[in-house]
Amino acid sequence: MMWKEKYRIGVDVVDNQHQELFHRVSDFLISVQRKGDWGQKIAKVKETLAFMQEYVIVHFRDEENYQLQINFPEYEEHKDVHARFRDMINQYAVRFEKEGFTQELVQEFGGKLMTWLIMHVADMDQRIGAYVREQGGKG
Amino acid sequence: MKVAFVEPFVKAARDVFQLMMDLDAQRGDLRASEQLVPSKDASVAIGVTGDLLGSILYSFPRQMTLEMVEIMAGMPVDELDSFVISALGEVANIISGNAMAYLNSANYMCNINPPQIVLGQETALEMVTRKALIVPLRTRIGEFDIFITLKEQA
Repeated sequence: MMWKEKYRIGVDVVDNQHQELFHRVSDFLISVQRKGDWGQKIAKVKETLAFMQEYVIVHFRDEENYQLQINFPEYEEHKDVHARFRDMINQYAVRFEKEGFTQELVQEFGGKLMTWLIMHVADMDQRIGAYVREQGGKG
Repeated sequence: MKVAFVEPFVKAARDVFQLMMDLDAQRGDLRASEQLVPSKDASVAIGVTGDLLGSILYSFPRQMTLEMVEIMAGMPVDELDSFVISALGEVANIISGNAMAYLNSANYMCNINPPQIVLGQETALEMVTRKALIVPLRTRIGEFDIFITLKEQA
């Protein structure tokens, strides 16, 4: 389990989506890292990739809308970081198409997905919660 | 090379270890080396360009690397496979990126190149300075080294 309570920012809609993202990535890593026949895991890899491509759009849109709503000063910077992450996912999707869903490439993707998600939520997203608290709001 | 270039990397590494792994990293004594050769099993080299030129090498013991990834992934990890190596490379990448932000605010505008993984302790990397500075950082799961060789561009 990757999710930790300290990742909460105190805004329910964002926290629930973060938890969903962490659960899906965690699930994906368990399945990729489990010993066993690689061929049987490819369906799960494809499912996670499709989920990430769709869900990050929904989540980033919701989170960015929330930032606009509260006049979050780092909105533009945060939006750029989201865009770069979407590009990273799409670049891997292209590589999977070209190079195939090899174990090595999928594991590399898993390592990036995990570290990005943790660092982004543990650091950058915490500033949203801190800003809300500073403004005296409850989110 | 200036000792002042070390601090941004120490600060960034301590922050990232705390944020990502809830690990406190204590700085050890600075030493110098005439060679840039990994001191431990799994290393990440990151090139720096811009106002400063050179490279940073993060060198981790195997067991520590596995435990770092275990903490982040929340599941057992027992080999240095592509998943572990990729996660390690990204941790070093994030530390270096944050260190660049500190250097930028000190008016050194620099960029980093993608992380290169070095396994084992055989490979010697190119140095831009006569000596590299090495700072060890101790955590409850092990000790790792950050090698820094940076020079100001003329």
